[in-house]
Amino acid sequence: MIKENAEVVVVGAGVIGVSLAYGLVKNGAKVILIDKVDNRLTSSRGNFGLVWVQGKGKGMPRYVEWCIEAIEKWPEFAENLETESGFDLNYEKTGGLEICLGEQEHQERVNFIEEMSQESSSGRYDCEMISIKELQGMIPEIKLGKEVRGASFCSYDGCVNPLNLLKAMNSSFQQKGGGYRPEQSVQKIECSSNDFKIETGTHSFNAKKLVLACGLMTTKLASMVGMKVPVIAERGQIIVTESTSRVFNYPTAGIRQNFDGSFMLGTSHESVGYNIETSYEVLQNIAKRAIRILPNLKNLQMIRSWAALRVLTPDKMPVYLESDQYPGAYAITSHSGVSLASLHSSNLVEWILEERIPLGFSAFHPQRFNVQEAI
Amino acid sequence: MSIAEYDYTIIGAGPAGMAAAITARKHGLKVLVLDEQPTVGGQIFRNIEGLEKYRNSEFHKLGAEYLSGSKLVQQFHNSGVVYLNGRSVWQIDRDLGIHNVSTIPTDQKSSVPQFCKTKNLLIAVGAMERPMPLPGWTLPGVMACTAADVLYKSSGMIPQGKVVLAGSGPLLLLIASRLLDAGVKISAFLDTTPRGALIQALPYLPQALRSFGYLKKGLEMLWKLRTSGIPIYSGIQAIEALGNSKLEEVRFKKGMKHQEVSADLLLLHNGVVPNVQISRQLACEHSWYDVQRYWEPIVDDWGNTSMARTAVAGDCGRVSGAVISEISGHLTALDTVRQLGAITLKERDKLSLTLRQTLKNHQSARPFLDKLFQPTQNLIVPNKEDVLVCRCEEVTVREIRETVRLGFQNPDRLKSMIRCGMGPCQARMCGLTVSEIIADEKQISPEEVGYFKIRSPIKPITIGQLAEND
Amino acid sequence: MFKKQYESHETVTIIFEGKSLDVGIGQTVAAALLGEGHLIFRYTRVSGKPRAAYCLMGVCFECLLEINGQRNQQGCMIPVSDGMKIKRQMPPKGKIQ
Repeated sequence: MIKENAEVVVVGAGVIGVSLAYGLVKNGAKVILIDKVDNRLTSSRGNFGLVWVQGKGKGMPRYVEWCIEAIEKWPEFAENLETESGFDLNYEKTGGLEICLGEQEHQERVNFIEEMSQESSSGRYDCEMISIKELQGMIPEIKLGKEVRGASFCSYDGCVNPLNLLKAMNSSFQQKGGGYRPEQSVQKIECSSNDFKIETGTHSFNAKKLVLACGLMTTKLASMVGMKVPVIAERGQIIVTESTSRVFNYPTAGIRQNFDGSFMLGTSHESVGYNIETSYEVLQNIAKRAIRILPNLKNLQMIRSWAALRVLTPDKMPVYLESDQYPGAYAITSHSGVSLASLHSSNLVEWILEERIPLGFSAFHPQRFNVQEAI
Repeated sequence: MSIAEYDYTIIGAGPAGMAAAITARKHGLKVLVLDEQPTVGGQIFRNIEGLEKYRNSEFHKLGAEYLSGSKLVQQFHNSGVVYLNGRSVWQIDRDLGIHNVSTIPTDQKSSVPQFCKTKNLLIAVGAMERPMPLPGWTLPGVMACTAADVLYKSSGMIPQGKVVLAGSGPLLLLIASRLLDAGVKISAFLDTTPRGALIQALPYLPQALRSFGYLKKGLEMLWKLRTSGIPIYSGIQAIEALGNSKLEEVRFKKGMKHQEVSADLLLLHNGVVPNVQISRQLACEHSWYDVQRYWEPIVDDWGNTSMARTAVAGDCGRVSGAVISEISGHLTALDTVRQLGAITLKERDKLSLTLRQTLKNHQSARPFLDKLFQPTQNLIVPNKEDVLVCRCEEVTVREIRETVRLGFQNPDRLKSMIRCGMGPCQARMCGLTVSEIIADEKQISPEEVGYFKIRSPIKPITIGQLAEND
Repeated sequence: MFKKQYESHETVTIIFEGKSLDVGIGQTVAAALLGEGHLIFRYTRVSGKPRAAYCLMGVCFECLLEINGQRNQQGCMIPVSDGMKIKRQMPPKGKIQ
């Protein structure tokens, strides 16, 4: 077995693991980043690329503030990362839309936005309903479908190339001396009084701190270090079209046009276990909805499709946890790894290295799930 | 509206597909054959009906193979099979629902997508040319050598201007031979078969002599080439296509010497590989055939894959040519007929006896040919790092190597980092090369590296067609 | 660079880049264009470089043309038909149809 030492071992090189590792190494820590043997179940590869606030954090105002803080840090985060890595992130903060079809959807959205605004203690939640006319005016080059009733618009929202984000952070991490150890799955974790020993098939890593950012493997690995973190897999399928001229310049949760001119169409939510196949019915439903919103999409060819598993906690909001039993071991899981990358590479780094807990962090403790269960 | 159901659906109407259909129909199965082309024949018998009807002298020039192919076509059309031409299969569900759409999307009438169910499936989609990445290979005027064959058979066109042939393999010899017969003046023949290839292949020669017909044909073509007066350069190690907006010159390296020859058309060939797009979309297991450096679906003696009720026949299983493809079509269908209860195991074995013997005779030349025409490393993994590997997304050898060095050695992970394999061709042109480059970089076998996950659509379909109700 | 060896028994009129061409029936768009001396079919999205047909059997997706207003059509898979409007495919810009 090859033995290696580090200050921090990060397990999981998806967007969260890489953000943490990147941030840690920028703050001078000696970091090793472990990436499991690729079994195609990596969630971060299947990402729509939204850098998003609207729609998140219903019932948890602390999370809404967290998201807003993340977005405010994003432009500088993106600029630094682009300069360091040499890769384009194609980050666009244009504001984002959720387009409503039919009266019911529209009314539900109106209510939702109203409730979110009321919940926002800081008053910083900024999302408004816009009319069909205003909406069409924002996207003059492509016609809206007849059933479109309007949309909600949030000025914080934007989008990024999520694959380039992964690549940029990982390469920057390595450039700054971080050790990336791919194709290695963690088999065993041993905890002693002052460090952790992490064994994969071929390597044995020793570190003072252990950060688990391993997506769907979180429950299993967290239990090895005394933490209970429930996560479930939820499948989402995506259609990617041929490239065409750029006409749709605002991201929405279900339709966005990439930098290369192709459209990505979603969304879907299925509980199918660890199954990453696409299905005709779901792809058809996605196509149907997309055409109802933008009828001209019907002439575009689908040239590829994919499916990936979201990593969701019971309330879909983050868990940031340090082990009580084994201090120095952390478990981090969140559905919004892309949007929160700016914070994961800064605020969380402070938490892990300097043990400075961010304000209101207790909101992200998984004990909230037990409370919900009790109800 | 009820959904059409078949006992046996065959994708591909080449020799394997037609043979399978004929045998299945003999035993009373309800058979559907789907093919993208407007007429039957696959690649080897492309436009055989058109040639026979409208260009009879050329039809006869194509030789005994085309004559026997013609018989097969007749039997196929008389078999009572349901044959749909101009249909592209874009997705096959795990329970063998077949989604297909017209190959001619601008034709409003037939653009309605179709769906049918089938008890058993046969994938008989044939083979494709191994991509041969080299500097300048994306220049207009550089083509795969079979393109010349397609143009000749389907449209009666022959190349004019300065034609250069480059590469290695029986197919290249065949194309050269055909072009010579058609009166085309070939400027140069650049043979990349390495010196010593014959010695390496000699152990398999005695076995190959059993099907002397193949070897005789090959020797005849070689003789025709050698006596044609065409400049032949052997043992070529590197080829470059040069030009501004189209091909103007071909540069090649023989030993230490570089030479240039003026060219309007460069026809490349570096072997034939199974088209595994559909078998991979279905998640059939594949194994690596190292001698010829390609993936083939794992099958039993009857062509059954690792997926239930799914078989392959012909060159999309193991590249072996038209005659073997036809026999394998009959054999695979016989077992399918047994699976569906129309014949017993004993009957199947009895009926297949002669076929198996014929198959064995024809297969005896393959190990020799496969070894003789083994693809060479320098033409599989380009030396020059500027060479485009993924033509669709314009990803270079350099980008791939650099990304592997960053730690991304899994093909799908690599794909997500640099987009190779994301374009319209869905890795048909770059998949093999990507795996080989990763293998070379990590000093492991391509088998260990693996291949991209291939998903639907196998061929593009519009959002509108997808959204339409069946 | 390709010439026809025989006369077609029937022809149709296609329009390539605004010019009418009489071409033999039963051949693909790609073959028809090559037969008329048109080599370059498109310019790539990534770098704007010229591309032409490569495999002519539906594998390489290089022969992508705009046919009757629809982009990314494989010229080698589509037979010519009377009145068909064909254009070289340019990198995406302008409105989608």
